[in-house]
Amino acid sequence: MYEPKIIGFLCNWCSYRGADTAGMARMKYPPNVKIIRVPCSGRISPELVLRSFREGADGVILLGCHIGDCHYATGNHRTAKRMPVLKKLMEYTGIEPERLYINWVSAAEGEKFTTVIKEFTETISALPPFVETMK
Amino acid sequence: MTDRLTTLRKTIENVLPNVEGVLALRIGPGGITAPHLFSKEHSEELDKLALWPKEPVPDTLKIILRAHPDAKLAIVCRGCEERGIVEMFKHSQLNLDNLTLIGLQCEQDEAEFCRCAKPFTVHSKLTVGEPIEGVPDPLTAKIEAMSQPEKQAFWKQEFEHCIKCYGCRNICPQCFCNICALEDETWVETGRLPMPNPSMYHMVRAMHMTAKCVACRECEETCPADIPMAVHFRLIARDVREMFNYEPGASMDQKPPQLLVLEEGEYERSGLPH
Repeated sequence: MYEPKIIGFLCNWCSYRGADTAGMARMKYPPNVKIIRVPCSGRISPELVLRSFREGADGVILLGCHIGDCHYATGNHRTAKRMPVLKKLMEYTGIEPERLYINWVSAAEGEKFTTVIKEFTETISALPPFVETMK
Repeated sequence: MTDRLTTLRKTIENVLPNVEGVLALRIGPGGITAPHLFSKEHSEELDKLALWPKEPVPDTLKIILRAHPDAKLAIVCRGCEERGIVEMFKHSQLNLDNLTLIGLQCEQDEAEFCRCAKPFTVHSKLTVGEPIEGVPDPLTAKIEAMSQPEKQAFWKQEFEHCIKCYGCRNICPQCFCNICALEDETWVETGRLPMPNPSMYHMVRAMHMTAKCVACRECEETCPADIPMAVHFRLIARDVREMFNYEPGASMDQKPPQLLVLEEGEYERSGLPH
């Protein structure tokens, strides 16, 4: 059993605050996820996701504000349009598309944050380490 | 073939007095076909007018228009090249007011060579040849039917052949950014061959071709390693059609999905360059 490495890109205004809420309520979630705070989920270009994989991440999770709640009005619309395409591209190249996960978590949803992270960690643990599949 | 050539020559001769030049293919020295700007001063050059093999004429048009934005030109374009010009227009790369399109319809063998789904023009007012139906793409179907480990092994092998000549990017009529992500050391490392798997170069390029690729297959044609990269672009183009109901080059008015928000309104532009 290996411990998967997961990179979590969290938007500053909703999801990062959601993680804070989870922390303040002392909720438990797997420690595999390494959180990177970004100004907006729209900041995450496909290049950043692909580079995370190349640097040895087994999974990438991307959390942003709910559609309509974005601090920058339409930043997460970009994420919502661009990431499904990247998932498709990963599928066509032979990378499991489950390794990339997108969801919306607001500042109040500490509970949802822990569930999402738990479920994603379980999905990734079931897959072989990414670096080995690429050899 | 000869028939289309004669008709095309007549059409060009009719158009020439009204424009400053007509961009088409010419058999040059050594029998090599290349884009050439025919002008009324040298109309005898039309003897060397050629149709095939296909060369990236819109790319030459882009270079001319960058130096002379107000030039009044005509261009002989196939279906794919016409779609390329429409997409370049949508991304503000050229002005269609001064441009006359002469549509050249592909023949069956040409369409099969390109595995082209749309070997005909739709916007050109002047056309040469009879439009034909699209042909299926067996290679894309074959690769799509592979299992996940097979796909991975296939692409790993193909990407290992890549020598990073950037030929596919340079020839692409849709690659016109002044600052290219593929030249950024953060994403594509220099001096490392074969590229680490998965290939950032090819995946980033495939992402950037989303809703832009017009399926002209120039990238595959120019590739010295024969990487079938257009397969990626075609599969994604199909998804873009399903997800955003958008087909590159199909309509002059429809805005590309990357410029729209989810409710179909336009993005509010900030002061920064887009």
